[in-house]
Amino acid sequence: MVRLTIDERELQAEEGATIFSVARDNNIYIPALCSNEAVAPYGACRLCLVEISSNGRRKLVASCLYPVEEGLVVKTNSERIVNNRRMIMELLLARCPNNKTIQDLARQLGIGETSFKLEDNQCILCALCVRACQEVVDVNAISLVNRGINREVAAPFYEPSDACIGCGSCAYICPVDAINFEDIGDTRYIKWPTSSMEFKLKKCKTCGNYWAPEKQLDYIIKKSNLAPNAFDNCPDCRD
Amino acid sequence: MEKYAIYVPRLVTRRENFAPGHRACIGCGEALAVRLACKALGQNIIIANATGCMEIVSSPLPNTTWRVPWIHTLFENTAAVASGIEAGLKVLARKGRILDLDTKVVAIAGDGGTSDIGLQAISGAFERGHNFVYICFDNEAYMNTGIQRSSATPYGAFTTTSPPGKKSIGQVTWKKDMPAIAVAHNIPYVATACHSYPFDLMAKVDKAMATHGPAYVHILSVCPTGWRSPVDLTIKMGRLAVETGVFPLYEVEYGKYRLSVDLPKLRPVTDYLKLQGRFRHLSEDLMNEIQQRTNTEYAKLKEKVG
Repeated sequence: MVRLTIDERELQAEEGATIFSVARDNNIYIPALCSNEAVAPYGACRLCLVEISSNGRRKLVASCLYPVEEGLVVKTNSERIVNNRRMIMELLLARCPNNKTIQDLARQLGIGETSFKLEDNQCILCALCVRACQEVVDVNAISLVNRGINREVAAPFYEPSDACIGCGSCAYICPVDAINFEDIGDTRYIKWPTSSMEFKLKKCKTCGNYWAPEKQLDYIIKKSNLAPNAFDNCPDCRD
Repeated sequence: MEKYAIYVPRLVTRRENFAPGHRACIGCGEALAVRLACKALGQNIIIANATGCMEIVSSPLPNTTWRVPWIHTLFENTAAVASGIEAGLKVLARKGRILDLDTKVVAIAGDGGTSDIGLQAISGAFERGHNFVYICFDNEAYMNTGIQRSSATPYGAFTTTSPPGKKSIGQVTWKKDMPAIAVAHNIPYVATACHSYPFDLMAKVDKAMATHGPAYVHILSVCPTGWRSPVDLTIKMGRLAVETGVFPLYEVEYGKYRLSVDLPKLRPVTDYLKLQGRFRHLSEDLMNEIQQRTNTEYAKLKEKVG
Protein backbone atom coordinates (compact mmCIF):
# COMPACT_ATOMS: atom_id res chain seq x y z
CA MET A 1 0.00 0.00 0.00
CA VAL A 2 1.04 3.56 -0.75
CA ARG A 3 0.02 6.64 1.20
CA LEU A 4 -0.65 9.85 -0.64
CA THR A 5 -2.54 13.11 -0.23
CA ILE A 6 -5.11 14.32 -2.72
CA ASP A 7 -6.67 17.71 -2.08
CA GLU A 8 -5.56 17.57 1.57
CA ARG A 9 -7.20 14.18 2.07
CA GLU A 10 -4.85 11.42 3.20
CA LEU A 11 -5.55 8.28 1.24
CA GLN A 12 -4.20 4.80 0.86
CA ALA A 13 -3.91 3.18 -2.52
CA GLU A 14 -2.73 0.01 -4.17
CA GLU A 15 0.71 0.17 -5.68
CA GLY A 16 0.51 0.66 -9.44
CA ALA A 17 -2.85 2.43 -9.36
CA THR A 18 -3.04 5.76 -11.13
CA ILE A 19 -3.87 9.06 -9.44
CA PHE A 20 -7.03 9.25 -11.52
CA SER A 21 -8.40 5.87 -10.43
CA VAL A 22 -7.57 6.54 -6.76
CA ALA A 23 -9.32 9.91 -6.92
CA ARG A 24 -12.37 8.42 -8.58
CA ASP A 25 -12.59 5.63 -6.00
CA ASN A 26 -12.56 8.25 -3.26
CA ASN A 27 -15.17 10.47 -4.87
CA ILE A 28 -12.74 13.22 -5.85
CA TYR A 29 -13.89 14.61 -9.17
CA ILE A 30 -11.36 15.04 -11.96
CA PRO A 31 -12.83 15.82 -15.38
CA ALA A 32 -11.78 13.47 -18.16
CA LEU A 33 -13.01 12.36 -21.55
CA CYS A 34 -10.61 9.72 -22.80
CA SER A 35 -10.62 7.25 -19.93
CA ASN A 36 -12.39 3.92 -19.67
CA GLU A 37 -11.55 1.02 -17.38
CA ALA A 38 -11.82 -1.47 -20.21
CA VAL A 39 -8.86 -0.07 -22.13
CA ALA A 40 -5.36 1.00 -21.12
CA PRO A 41 -4.90 4.67 -20.15
CA TYR A 42 -3.76 6.85 -23.02
CA GLY A 43 -3.61 10.47 -21.91
CA ALA A 44 -5.18 12.05 -24.98
CA CYS A 45 -7.67 14.60 -23.68
CA ARG A 46 -5.36 16.17 -21.04
CA LEU A 47 -8.35 17.34 -19.03
CA CYS A 48 -7.32 15.21 -16.07
CA LEU A 49 -4.19 17.29 -15.41
CA VAL A 50 -3.27 17.53 -11.74
CA GLU A 51 -0.45 19.25 -9.90
CA ILE A 52 1.86 16.97 -7.97
CA SER A 53 4.65 17.85 -5.60
CA SER A 54 7.22 15.43 -4.34
CA ASN A 55 10.66 16.27 -2.97
CA GLY A 56 9.90 19.96 -3.25
CA ARG A 57 9.28 19.90 -7.02
CA ARG A 58 5.93 20.76 -8.48
CA LYS A 59 4.73 19.81 -11.90
CA LEU A 60 1.61 19.14 -13.94
CA VAL A 61 0.93 15.55 -14.97
CA ALA A 62 -1.93 13.67 -16.58
CA SER A 63 -3.47 11.86 -13.62
CA CYS A 64 -4.75 8.97 -15.75
CA LEU A 65 -1.17 7.95 -16.57
CA TYR A 66 0.72 8.86 -13.41
CA PRO A 67 1.13 6.00 -10.92
CA VAL A 68 0.79 6.80 -7.22
CA GLU A 69 3.94 7.15 -5.14
CA GLU A 70 4.63 7.14 -1.42
CA GLY A 71 4.20 10.61 0.04
CA LEU A 72 2.86 12.15 -3.17
CA VAL A 73 0.91 15.37 -2.66
CA VAL A 74 -1.70 15.97 -5.35
CA LYS A 75 -3.83 19.01 -5.99
CA THR A 76 -6.74 18.73 -8.40
CA ASN A 77 -8.01 22.26 -8.21
CA SER A 78 -5.15 24.75 -7.79
CA GLU A 79 -5.18 27.96 -9.77
CA ARG A 80 -2.51 26.69 -12.15
CA ILE A 81 -4.57 23.59 -12.97
CA VAL A 82 -7.79 25.49 -13.36
CA ASN A 83 -6.12 27.86 -15.83
CA ASN A 84 -4.55 25.01 -17.80
CA ARG A 85 -7.77 23.06 -17.83
CA ARG A 86 -9.71 26.06 -19.07
CA MET A 87 -7.22 26.51 -21.90
CA ILE A 88 -7.53 22.85 -22.92
CA MET A 89 -11.28 23.10 -22.72
CA GLU A 90 -11.29 26.22 -24.87
CA LEU A 91 -9.24 24.42 -27.49
CA LEU A 92 -11.60 21.47 -27.42
CA LEU A 93 -14.55 23.81 -27.70
CA ALA A 94 -12.95 25.49 -30.70
CA ARG A 95 -12.49 22.11 -32.32
CA CYS A 96 -16.03 20.82 -31.57
CA PRO A 97 -18.24 23.90 -31.02
CA ASN A 98 -21.43 22.00 -31.89
CA ASN A 99 -20.88 18.97 -29.68
CA LYS A 100 -23.28 18.77 -26.75
CA THR A 101 -20.97 16.89 -24.38
CA ILE A 102 -18.17 19.37 -24.99
CA GLN A 103 -20.55 22.32 -24.56
CA ASP A 104 -21.84 20.92 -21.26
CA LEU A 105 -18.36 20.23 -19.92
CA ALA A 106 -17.19 23.69 -20.97
CA ARG A 107 -20.12 25.26 -19.17
CA GLN A 108 -19.33 23.19 -16.10
CA LEU A 109 -15.76 24.52 -16.16
CA GLY A 110 -17.08 28.06 -16.53
CA ILE A 111 -16.33 28.66 -20.21
CA GLY A 112 -18.95 30.31 -22.34
CA GLU A 113 -17.03 31.16 -25.47
CA THR A 114 -13.69 30.31 -26.92
CA SER A 115 -11.29 32.85 -28.32
CA PHE A 116 -9.88 30.48 -30.92
CA LYS A 117 -10.96 30.02 -34.50
CA LEU A 118 -13.96 27.71 -34.65
CA GLU A 119 -13.82 24.46 -36.57
CA ASP A 120 -16.66 22.06 -37.16
CA ASN A 121 -15.66 18.68 -35.84
CA GLN A 122 -17.43 16.15 -33.68
CA CYS A 123 -14.44 13.93 -32.90
CA ILE A 124 -11.90 14.94 -30.24
CA LEU A 125 -9.34 12.30 -31.31
CA CYS A 126 -9.22 10.62 -27.92
CA ALA A 127 -8.85 7.27 -29.72
CA LEU A 128 -11.16 5.45 -27.31
CA CYS A 129 -12.91 3.84 -30.31
CA VAL A 130 -9.62 2.77 -31.82
CA ARG A 131 -8.40 1.37 -28.52
CA ALA A 132 -11.65 -0.48 -27.85
CA CYS A 133 -11.57 -1.97 -31.35
CA GLN A 134 -8.02 -3.12 -30.75
CA GLU A 135 -7.97 -4.14 -27.09
CA VAL A 136 -11.54 -5.30 -26.43
CA VAL A 137 -12.90 -6.55 -29.76
CA ASP A 138 -9.49 -7.41 -31.23
CA VAL A 139 -10.34 -6.71 -34.88
CA ASN A 140 -8.42 -3.44 -35.55
CA ALA A 141 -11.00 -2.20 -38.02
CA ILE A 142 -10.37 1.50 -37.45
CA SER A 143 -7.27 3.47 -36.57
CA LEU A 144 -5.89 6.99 -36.34
CA VAL A 145 -4.53 8.08 -39.70
CA ASN A 146 -2.37 11.03 -40.85
CA ARG A 147 -0.46 13.38 -38.61
CA GLY A 148 -0.75 16.73 -36.94
CA ILE A 149 -3.75 18.78 -37.92
CA ASN A 150 -4.84 16.15 -40.45
CA ARG A 151 -5.14 13.38 -37.88
CA GLU A 152 -8.47 11.56 -37.88
CA VAL A 153 -10.18 8.28 -37.13
CA ALA A 154 -10.73 6.17 -40.22
CA ALA A 155 -10.79 2.70 -41.67
CA PRO A 156 -7.82 1.81 -43.91
CA PHE A 157 -7.78 3.94 -47.08
CA TYR A 158 -11.11 5.50 -46.05
CA GLU A 159 -12.88 2.50 -47.52
CA PRO A 160 -15.47 0.24 -45.88
CA SER A 161 -13.44 -2.05 -43.68
CA ASP A 162 -13.46 -5.80 -44.23
CA ALA A 163 -12.38 -6.38 -40.67
CA CYS A 164 -15.23 -4.46 -39.05
CA ILE A 165 -17.86 -6.76 -37.55
CA GLY A 166 -20.39 -4.03 -36.70
CA CYS A 167 -20.43 -4.68 -32.96
CA GLY A 168 -20.98 -1.02 -32.08
CA SER A 169 -18.30 -0.85 -29.37
CA CYS A 170 -16.83 2.30 -30.91
CA ALA A 171 -20.20 4.04 -30.88
CA TYR A 172 -20.88 3.01 -27.29
CA ILE A 173 -17.50 4.03 -25.91
CA CYS A 174 -17.30 7.38 -27.73
CA PRO A 175 -17.40 10.04 -24.98
CA VAL A 176 -18.74 12.77 -27.28
CA ASP A 177 -21.20 10.71 -29.37
CA ALA A 178 -19.35 11.39 -32.60
CA ILE A 179 -20.18 7.93 -33.95
CA ASN A 180 -23.75 7.19 -34.97
CA PHE A 181 -25.18 3.74 -34.53
CA GLU A 182 -28.63 2.77 -35.64
CA ASP A 183 -30.59 -0.35 -36.52
CA ILE A 184 -33.34 0.21 -39.06
CA GLY A 185 -35.20 -2.87 -40.23
CA ASP A 186 -32.71 -5.46 -41.45
CA THR A 187 -29.72 -3.13 -41.66
CA ARG A 188 -27.37 -1.62 -39.13
CA TYR A 189 -25.84 1.73 -39.96
CA ILE A 190 -22.62 2.85 -38.29
CA LYS A 191 -21.41 6.30 -39.22
CA TRP A 192 -17.93 7.48 -38.29
CA PRO A 193 -16.87 11.09 -38.89
CA THR A 194 -14.97 10.07 -42.02
CA SER A 195 -16.91 7.12 -43.41
CA SER A 196 -19.92 4.93 -42.87
CA MET A 197 -20.82 1.27 -43.22
CA GLU A 198 -23.93 -0.87 -43.47
CA PHE A 199 -24.33 -4.32 -42.00
CA LYS A 200 -26.90 -6.94 -42.78
CA LEU A 201 -28.65 -8.19 -39.67
CA LYS A 202 -29.44 -11.82 -39.10
CA LYS A 203 -33.05 -12.91 -38.98
CA CYS A 204 -34.09 -15.29 -36.22
CA LYS A 205 -35.41 -18.57 -37.62
CA THR A 206 -38.18 -18.83 -35.02
CA CYS A 207 -39.52 -15.35 -34.28
CA GLY A 208 -38.31 -13.54 -37.38
CA ASN A 209 -36.77 -10.58 -35.52
CA TYR A 210 -33.49 -9.13 -36.73
CA TRP A 211 -31.06 -9.39 -33.86
CA ALA A 212 -27.33 -9.12 -34.71
CA PRO A 213 -25.04 -8.40 -37.66
CA GLU A 214 -24.19 -11.52 -39.64
CA LYS A 215 -20.50 -10.58 -39.77
CA GLN A 216 -20.32 -10.38 -35.99
CA LEU A 217 -21.93 -13.79 -35.54
CA ASP A 218 -19.56 -15.32 -38.10
CA TYR A 219 -16.65 -13.77 -36.22
CA ILE A 220 -17.82 -15.21 -32.89
CA ILE A 221 -18.41 -18.64 -34.45
CA LYS A 222 -14.91 -18.61 -35.89
CA LYS A 223 -13.29 -17.34 -32.74
CA SER A 224 -15.05 -19.74 -30.35
CA ASN A 225 -15.19 -22.75 -32.67
CA LEU A 226 -18.96 -23.05 -32.59
CA ALA A 227 -21.21 -24.99 -34.93
CA PRO A 228 -22.13 -22.95 -38.05
CA ASN A 229 -25.82 -23.01 -37.04
CA ALA A 230 -25.16 -21.90 -33.44
CA PHE A 231 -26.84 -18.52 -33.99
CA ASP A 232 -29.82 -19.47 -36.11
CA ASN A 233 -32.13 -18.47 -33.27
CA CYS A 234 -32.04 -15.22 -31.34
CA PRO A 235 -31.31 -15.35 -27.58
CA ASP A 236 -35.04 -15.22 -26.81
CA CYS A 237 -35.85 -18.24 -28.97
CA ARG A 238 -32.75 -20.24 -28.08
CA ASP A 239 -33.33 -23.14 -25.69
CA MET B 1 -29.59 0.07 -28.40
CA GLU B 2 -30.39 -3.44 -27.23
CA LYS B 3 -28.51 -5.29 -29.95
CA TYR B 4 -25.04 -4.55 -28.69
CA ALA B 5 -24.23 -8.23 -28.06
CA ILE B 6 -21.04 -9.45 -26.50
CA TYR B 7 -18.34 -6.81 -26.85
CA VAL B 8 -20.01 -3.69 -25.58
CA PRO B 9 -20.86 -5.20 -22.16
CA ARG B 10 -17.12 -5.32 -21.51
CA LEU B 11 -16.98 -1.54 -21.76
CA VAL B 12 -19.52 -0.90 -19.00
CA THR B 13 -18.08 0.34 -15.72
CA ARG B 14 -17.00 -2.40 -13.35
CA ARG B 15 -17.59 -0.40 -10.24
CA GLU B 16 -20.51 -1.76 -8.24
CA ASN B 17 -22.22 0.90 -6.17
CA PHE B 18 -24.79 -1.70 -5.19
CA ALA B 19 -22.33 -4.19 -3.76
CA PRO B 20 -22.71 -7.97 -3.83
CA GLY B 21 -23.51 -9.84 -0.63
CA HIS B 22 -26.99 -8.45 -0.08
CA ARG B 23 -29.85 -10.69 1.00
CA ALA B 24 -32.16 -10.72 -2.00
CA CYS B 25 -33.79 -14.03 -3.00
CA ILE B 26 -32.35 -16.32 -5.64
CA GLY B 27 -33.13 -15.01 -9.10
CA CYS B 28 -34.18 -11.57 -7.86
CA GLY B 29 -34.80 -9.32 -10.84
CA GLU B 30 -35.09 -6.23 -8.69
CA ALA B 31 -31.56 -6.57 -7.28
CA LEU B 32 -30.31 -6.90 -10.84
CA ALA B 33 -32.27 -3.85 -11.92
CA VAL B 34 -30.93 -1.79 -8.98
CA ARG B 35 -27.39 -2.90 -9.76
CA LEU B 36 -27.71 -1.86 -13.40
CA ALA B 37 -29.38 1.42 -12.46
CA CYS B 38 -26.57 2.15 -9.98
CA LYS B 39 -24.00 1.66 -12.73
CA ALA B 40 -25.72 4.35 -14.73
CA LEU B 41 -26.35 6.64 -11.74
CA GLY B 42 -22.67 6.97 -10.89
CA GLN B 43 -21.32 8.23 -7.59
CA ASN B 44 -22.41 11.83 -7.46
CA ILE B 45 -25.84 11.00 -6.04
CA ILE B 46 -27.84 10.77 -2.84
CA ILE B 47 -30.40 7.97 -2.72
CA ALA B 48 -33.64 8.14 -0.75
CA ASN B 49 -34.97 4.59 -0.56
CA ALA B 50 -38.52 3.79 0.48
CA THR B 51 -39.31 0.80 2.64
CA GLY B 52 -39.53 -2.31 0.56
CA CYS B 53 -37.58 -5.30 -0.66
CA MET B 54 -34.49 -3.32 -1.63
CA GLU B 55 -34.33 -1.51 1.67
CA ILE B 56 -34.74 -4.76 3.63
CA VAL B 57 -32.19 -6.83 1.73
CA SER B 58 -29.57 -4.10 1.39
CA SER B 59 -29.30 -2.70 4.90
CA PRO B 60 -29.29 -5.34 7.64
CA LEU B 61 -27.60 -3.51 10.54
CA PRO B 62 -24.58 -3.16 10.81
CA ASN B 63 -23.99 -3.96 7.16
CA THR B 64 -24.86 -2.07 4.03
CA THR B 65 -24.79 -2.79 0.34
CA TRP B 66 -24.70 0.83 -0.73
CA ARG B 67 -21.47 2.53 -1.73
CA VAL B 68 -23.22 5.85 -2.22
CA PRO B 69 -24.97 8.12 0.31
CA TRP B 70 -28.24 6.41 1.12
CA ILE B 71 -31.17 7.24 3.37
CA HIS B 72 -34.06 5.00 4.31
CA THR B 73 -37.44 6.67 4.25
CA LEU B 74 -40.96 5.53 4.98
CA PHE B 75 -43.32 4.21 2.34
CA GLU B 76 -45.27 7.42 1.97
CA ASN B 77 -42.63 10.12 1.94
CA THR B 78 -39.79 9.05 -0.37
CA ALA B 79 -40.49 11.76 -2.90
CA ALA B 80 -40.96 14.30 -0.10
CA VAL B 81 -37.60 13.39 1.47
CA ALA B 82 -35.93 13.54 -1.95
CA SER B 83 -37.37 17.01 -2.56
CA GLY B 84 -36.16 18.06 0.88
CA ILE B 85 -32.63 16.86 0.18
CA GLU B 86 -32.63 18.60 -3.20
CA ALA B 87 -33.84 21.87 -1.66
CA GLY B 88 -31.28 21.51 1.14
CA LEU B 89 -28.42 21.00 -1.29
CA LYS B 90 -29.46 24.12 -3.17
CA VAL B 91 -29.47 26.20 0.00
CA LEU B 92 -26.10 24.86 1.17
CA ALA B 93 -24.59 25.61 -2.26
CA ARG B 94 -26.05 29.12 -2.23
CA LYS B 95 -24.59 29.78 1.22
CA GLY B 96 -21.24 28.47 0.03
CA ARG B 97 -21.16 25.67 2.60
CA ILE B 98 -20.67 22.99 -0.06
CA LEU B 99 -19.27 23.09 -3.57
CA ASP B 100 -21.96 23.15 -6.20
CA LEU B 101 -21.16 19.85 -7.87
CA ASP B 102 -24.55 19.03 -9.36
CA THR B 103 -25.20 16.21 -6.92
CA LYS B 104 -28.35 14.49 -8.10
CA VAL B 105 -31.01 13.24 -5.73
CA VAL B 106 -32.48 9.85 -6.58
CA ALA B 107 -35.61 8.44 -4.99
CA ILE B 108 -36.15 4.72 -5.35
CA ALA B 109 -39.18 2.77 -4.27
CA GLY B 110 -41.16 -0.33 -5.05
CA ASP B 111 -44.54 -0.40 -6.72
CA GLY B 112 -46.34 -0.16 -3.36
CA GLY B 113 -44.29 2.85 -2.28
CA THR B 114 -44.93 4.49 -5.64
CA SER B 115 -48.41 3.75 -6.87
CA ASP B 116 -50.20 3.10 -3.55
CA ILE B 117 -48.79 4.71 -0.45
CA GLY B 118 -46.36 7.28 -1.84
CA LEU B 119 -48.52 8.55 -4.67
CA GLN B 120 -49.43 11.92 -3.23
CA ALA B 121 -45.84 12.70 -2.24
CA ILE B 122 -44.57 11.81 -5.72
CA SER B 123 -47.34 13.85 -7.31
CA GLY B 124 -46.39 16.82 -5.17
CA ALA B 125 -42.70 16.52 -5.97
CA PHE B 126 -43.42 16.31 -9.72
CA GLU B 127 -45.72 19.28 -9.52
CA ARG B 128 -43.16 21.41 -7.66
CA GLY B 129 -40.62 20.49 -10.32
CA HIS B 130 -37.73 19.36 -8.13
CA ASN B 131 -34.56 18.36 -9.95
CA PHE B 132 -34.56 14.66 -9.04
CA VAL B 133 -34.89 11.19 -10.48
CA TYR B 134 -37.60 8.85 -9.26
CA ILE B 135 -37.08 5.18 -10.03
CA CYS B 136 -39.86 2.70 -9.34
CA PHE B 137 -38.86 -0.95 -9.16
CA ASP B 138 -42.12 -2.67 -9.91
CA ASN B 139 -42.39 -6.30 -8.85
CA GLU B 140 -46.17 -6.16 -8.89
CA ALA B 141 -47.01 -6.78 -5.20
CA TYR B 142 -45.77 -6.20 -1.64
CA MET B 143 -43.24 -9.00 -1.82
CA ASN B 144 -41.12 -8.57 1.31
CA THR B 145 -44.07 -8.68 3.69
CA GLY B 146 -45.46 -11.83 2.08
CA ILE B 147 -46.95 -11.11 -1.34
CA GLN B 148 -49.88 -8.81 -0.61
CA ARG B 149 -51.64 -7.21 -3.55
CA SER B 150 -50.84 -3.67 -4.60
CA SER B 151 -52.46 -1.50 -7.24
CA ALA B 152 -49.69 -2.57 -9.62
CA THR B 153 -50.64 -6.24 -9.38
CA PRO B 154 -51.92 -7.45 -12.76
CA TYR B 155 -55.44 -8.73 -13.35
CA GLY B 156 -56.03 -12.32 -12.33
CA ALA B 157 -52.80 -12.73 -10.37
CA PHE B 158 -52.64 -14.71 -7.16
CA THR B 159 -51.47 -12.89 -4.06
CA THR B 160 -52.08 -13.77 -0.42
CA THR B 161 -54.69 -11.01 -0.19
CA SER B 162 -56.28 -11.82 -3.53
CA PRO B 163 -56.46 -15.62 -3.34
CA PRO B 164 -58.11 -17.40 -6.24
CA GLY B 165 -60.83 -19.91 -5.50
CA LYS B 166 -64.39 -20.85 -6.37
CA LYS B 167 -65.70 -17.31 -5.92
CA SER B 168 -62.54 -15.38 -6.84
CA ILE B 169 -60.27 -15.15 -9.85
CA GLY B 170 -57.39 -13.61 -7.91
CA GLN B 171 -56.67 -9.91 -8.38
CA VAL B 172 -59.87 -8.36 -9.72
CA THR B 173 -58.50 -4.98 -10.85
CA TRP B 174 -56.20 -4.09 -13.73
CA LYS B 175 -52.66 -2.87 -13.18
CA LYS B 176 -52.46 0.84 -12.43
CA ASP B 177 -50.76 2.69 -15.27
CA MET B 178 -48.20 4.55 -13.18
CA PRO B 179 -46.05 5.87 -16.09
CA ALA B 180 -49.20 7.46 -17.55
CA ILE B 181 -49.83 9.20 -14.22
CA ALA B 182 -46.26 10.51 -14.32
CA VAL B 183 -46.73 11.68 -17.94
CA ALA B 184 -49.89 13.48 -16.86
CA HIS B 185 -47.76 15.69 -14.61
CA ASN B 186 -46.04 17.05 -17.73
CA ILE B 187 -42.59 16.27 -16.41
CA PRO B 188 -39.61 16.33 -18.78
CA TYR B 189 -38.81 12.62 -18.83
CA VAL B 190 -40.75 9.41 -18.22
CA ALA B 191 -39.59 5.95 -19.25
CA THR B 192 -40.34 2.29 -18.70
CA ALA B 193 -37.51 -0.23 -18.57
CA CYS B 194 -36.81 -3.83 -17.67
CA HIS B 195 -33.69 -5.53 -16.34
CA SER B 196 -33.83 -8.03 -19.22
CA TYR B 197 -32.86 -5.17 -21.53
CA PRO B 198 -29.79 -3.91 -19.62
CA PHE B 199 -28.47 -1.35 -22.12
CA ASP B 200 -31.88 0.11 -22.63
CA LEU B 201 -32.28 0.38 -18.85
CA MET B 202 -28.89 2.03 -18.36
CA ALA B 203 -29.46 4.45 -21.24
CA LYS B 204 -32.80 5.48 -19.78
CA VAL B 205 -31.41 6.02 -16.27
CA ASP B 206 -28.59 8.01 -17.90
CA LYS B 207 -31.11 10.18 -19.70
CA ALA B 208 -33.09 10.66 -16.51
CA MET B 209 -29.89 11.78 -14.78
CA ALA B 210 -29.16 14.27 -17.54
CA THR B 211 -32.67 15.70 -17.37
CA HIS B 212 -33.07 18.97 -15.52
CA GLY B 213 -36.23 18.67 -13.50
CA PRO B 214 -38.20 15.65 -12.36
CA ALA B 215 -37.67 12.38 -14.22
CA TYR B 216 -39.52 9.13 -13.68
CA VAL B 217 -38.30 5.65 -14.64
CA HIS B 218 -40.59 2.67 -14.12
CA ILE B 219 -38.66 -0.60 -14.10
CA LEU B 220 -40.42 -3.96 -14.25
CA SER B 221 -38.53 -6.30 -11.90
CA VAL B 222 -39.29 -9.99 -12.08
CA CYS B 223 -39.83 -11.58 -8.66
CA PRO B 224 -39.62 -15.39 -8.84
CA THR B 225 -40.68 -15.69 -5.19
CA GLY B 226 -43.90 -13.76 -5.57
CA TRP B 227 -44.66 -14.65 -9.16
CA ARG B 228 -44.18 -18.33 -8.39
CA SER B 229 -41.91 -18.68 -11.42
CA PRO B 230 -38.70 -20.69 -11.87
CA VAL B 231 -35.70 -18.79 -10.53
CA ASP B 232 -33.62 -19.45 -13.63
CA LEU B 233 -36.15 -17.77 -15.93
CA THR B 234 -35.93 -14.25 -14.49
CA ILE B 235 -34.37 -12.75 -17.62
CA LYS B 236 -36.61 -14.69 -19.98
CA MET B 237 -39.68 -13.61 -18.02
CA GLY B 238 -38.73 -9.95 -18.40
CA ARG B 239 -38.19 -10.36 -22.13
CA LEU B 240 -41.50 -12.18 -22.49
CA ALA B 241 -43.30 -9.40 -20.63
CA VAL B 242 -41.99 -6.99 -23.24
CA GLU B 243 -42.43 -9.26 -26.27
CA THR B 244 -46.03 -10.10 -25.40
CA GLY B 245 -46.88 -6.43 -24.99
CA VAL B 246 -47.82 -6.83 -21.33
CA PHE B 247 -45.11 -4.33 -20.36
CA PRO B 248 -44.05 -2.32 -23.43
CA LEU B 249 -40.82 -0.34 -23.20
CA TYR B 250 -41.14 3.29 -24.17
CA GLU B 251 -39.96 6.72 -23.18
CA VAL B 252 -41.73 10.06 -23.09
CA GLU B 253 -39.64 13.18 -23.54
CA TYR B 254 -41.60 16.38 -23.00
CA GLY B 255 -44.80 14.58 -23.93
CA LYS B 256 -43.36 12.93 -27.04
CA TYR B 257 -43.69 9.15 -27.01
CA ARG B 258 -41.09 6.80 -28.49
CA LEU B 259 -41.10 2.99 -28.44
CA SER B 260 -37.73 1.57 -27.36
CA VAL B 261 -38.31 -2.01 -28.45
CA ASP B 262 -40.53 -1.95 -31.50
CA LEU B 263 -41.67 -5.46 -32.30
CA PRO B 264 -43.15 -6.32 -35.67
CA LYS B 265 -45.48 -8.84 -34.05
CA LEU B 266 -46.47 -9.47 -30.43
CA ARG B 267 -46.29 -12.91 -28.90
CA PRO B 268 -49.48 -14.33 -27.37
CA VAL B 269 -49.75 -13.43 -23.66
CA THR B 270 -50.15 -17.11 -22.75
CA ASP B 271 -46.39 -17.52 -23.40
CA TYR B 272 -45.86 -15.18 -20.47
CA LEU B 273 -48.74 -16.21 -18.20
CA LYS B 274 -48.23 -19.99 -18.43
CA LEU B 275 -44.72 -19.76 -16.95
CA GLN B 276 -45.96 -18.21 -13.72
CA GLY B 277 -47.58 -20.00 -10.82
CA ARG B 278 -49.54 -16.90 -9.87
CA PHE B 279 -51.60 -17.26 -13.07
CA ARG B 280 -51.93 -21.05 -12.79
CA HIS B 281 -55.66 -20.94 -12.00
CA LEU B 282 -56.63 -18.77 -14.97
CA SER B 283 -59.23 -20.22 -17.31
CA GLU B 284 -59.12 -19.94 -21.10
CA ASP B 285 -61.72 -17.14 -20.97
CA LEU B 286 -59.74 -15.08 -18.52
CA MET B 287 -56.59 -15.48 -20.59
CA ASN B 288 -58.51 -14.28 -23.62
CA GLU B 289 -59.72 -11.31 -21.62
CA ILE B 290 -56.14 -10.46 -20.67
CA GLN B 291 -55.06 -10.85 -24.32
CA GLN B 292 -57.85 -8.48 -25.42
CA ARG B 293 -56.89 -5.89 -22.84
CA THR B 294 -53.19 -6.16 -23.70
CA ASN B 295 -53.98 -5.64 -27.39
CA THR B 296 -56.10 -2.57 -26.70
CA GLU B 297 -53.52 -1.05 -24.38
CA TYR B 298 -50.75 -1.69 -26.88
CA ALA B 299 -52.80 -0.20 -29.70
CA LYS B 300 -53.41 2.87 -27.54
CA LEU B 301 -49.70 3.21 -26.91
CA LYS B 302 -48.94 2.81 -30.63
CA GLU B 303 -51.39 5.58 -31.34
CA LYS B 304 -49.61 7.87 -28.89
CA VAL B 305 -46.27 7.07 -30.53
CA GLY B 306 -47.82 8.01 -33.85
